[in-house]
Amino acid sequence: MKKLDLTRDLLDMQVVGRDGTKMGRVDGLILELRGDLPPRVDAIEMGFAVLARRMGPRAERWLAKLRRWSVRRTASQRVPWSKVKAIEPHHIQIDLDALETPAFAWEIWLRDHFVAPIEGKREKSG
Amino acid sequence: MKKALALTLGIVTSIGGFLDMGALATSAQAGASYRFQLLWTIGLATLLVIFLVEMSGRFAAATRKALPDAIREHFGFTFWLVPFFVLSLSHLLVLGTEIGGICFALHLVSGLPTSFWALPVGVLLVTFLWRSTFNTIEDSTSLLGLITLAFVVAAVSHHPPMKDLLAGFVPTLTAEEPLKYWGIAVSIVGAVLSPYLFYFYSSGAVEDDWDSSFIGVNRGIAALGMGFGSVVAMGALVVAAMVLAPRGIAMDDYHQAALMLTDAFPFWGFLLFAVGLGVACLAASLEVALSMAYATAQTFGWNWGESLDPREDARFGAVYTGAIALSSLIILVGVDPLKLTLLAMATEAAVLPFVALPFLILMNDRKLLKEHANGWISNTVAVIVLLLALVLTVVSIPLALLGGGG
Repeated sequence: MKKLDLTRDLLDMQVVGRDGTKMGRVDGLILELRGDLPPRVDAIEMGFAVLARRMGPRAERWLAKLRRWSVRRTASQRVPWSKVKAIEPHHIQIDLDALETPAFAWEIWLRDHFVAPIEGKREKSG
Repeated sequence: MKKALALTLGIVTSIGGFLDMGALATSAQAGASYRFQLLWTIGLATLLVIFLVEMSGRFAAATRKALPDAIREHFGFTFWLVPFFVLSLSHLLVLGTEIGGICFALHLVSGLPTSFWALPVGVLLVTFLWRSTFNTIEDSTSLLGLITLAFVVAAVSHHPPMKDLLAGFVPTLTAEEPLKYWGIAVSIVGAVLSPYLFYFYSSGAVEDDWDSSFIGVNRGIAALGMGFGSVVAMGALVVAAMVLAPRGIAMDDYHQAALMLTDAFPFWGFLLFAVGLGVACLAASLEVALSMAYATAQTFGWNWGESLDPREDARFGAVYTGAIALSSLIILVGVDPLKLTLLAMATEAAVLPFVALPFLILMNDRKLLKEHANGWISNTVAVIVLLLALVLTVVSIPLALLGGGG
């Protein structure tokens, strides 16, 4: 049976979506406690809220205050383990479309409000 | 052929290390105040930077990962958080000095104040980064960078005394005003060993799609690319020694440096200096802005790549756009680029050990690099750099305040 070191082989790894888009990193892990059985990895977590929690309770509170102005619906995202397709040496392949996950809310917002108005002209002329 | 053309990555990287505002200013200052006596510091910095750049290229070619990416992955977010924060601050300050350098060059040519140019230059940089691919940036800036060879031509045309020149490669331990002497020595090494060089070079290697077949070529690219910058920096030092030192000009002000080339090129000298400085700072600005975007995107795992359309990596583009906007603002409010250089170099020195130590550990990870892991020679150099970085961190700030810089 292949063994996996959670903090070395999983935590902080690059997460790659279905079409190869880099969509974030494994910022946190959720374990499920199952009575007498050993705990099981239930989900991977991504997002600034997760990182803030890793830094400490104060950072988490600050981020919560900042989030009032955020364009994102959620600052963290859980990907159930069933969506993890492969653990490669340098990234984790998951079976989700990056663009449809909250991980891309900022990216899409920036694209719509910031890139598109400027870039739009070029597309028409080129 | 494709591999020979990869040399452009080496030259672009080298411009950021040797031919930026900080390194040119300190080299000229060294020549003006101590003639050839400080040549050895450029030699030492060159040797160290060749090894470090070779390592970061080898790492990228063997693992297809750039450094910030690998540091977050292997050392975790909590380790990386503080160095990343200081590094971003340092990136912003350095970017400010480079933008200041371009503005100063435009000021020399136009007569309009330096701060006037901050906004146009910022807009120009952002437009250029948005519209071009990584290859265009490499090719255009390395080609334009050749103009800085004017410093070498000028140095040769002054016929510097060979004996004194060679003696400059041996460290002088007893110099006049030792505080100033060591202040400049530390500044030169600090200005060359910038963390962003290694981030830029390794990310660039990933952008250029290097694989392990590039490991041999990488050695030559590191040596030739860094050698190019080093020769120009030495040229600037020699010209300053021949032109400024005999007249007792100590280079307290960048305006004095502007006349450096007029003895060798009576008519074109002034313009050559302005264009050379402007081009070198332009290349360095692009390099630093991209390095900041690489480091940020890789730290958080976003999509990144200068060759992607900004639509595909909007956050990556937003980072360099924001960085250029903030840094232009520093120049717009009228901060003197030369004073900013000292502060920027001090923050770079402060963050260097946090970059050098994980780098050394990663380069020895055989699980990651297999047969391409560091041998004893590279490790010796890396340990020297680490020790030097610790010394730099401790002494750079007081020395910059008391000696050379002040």
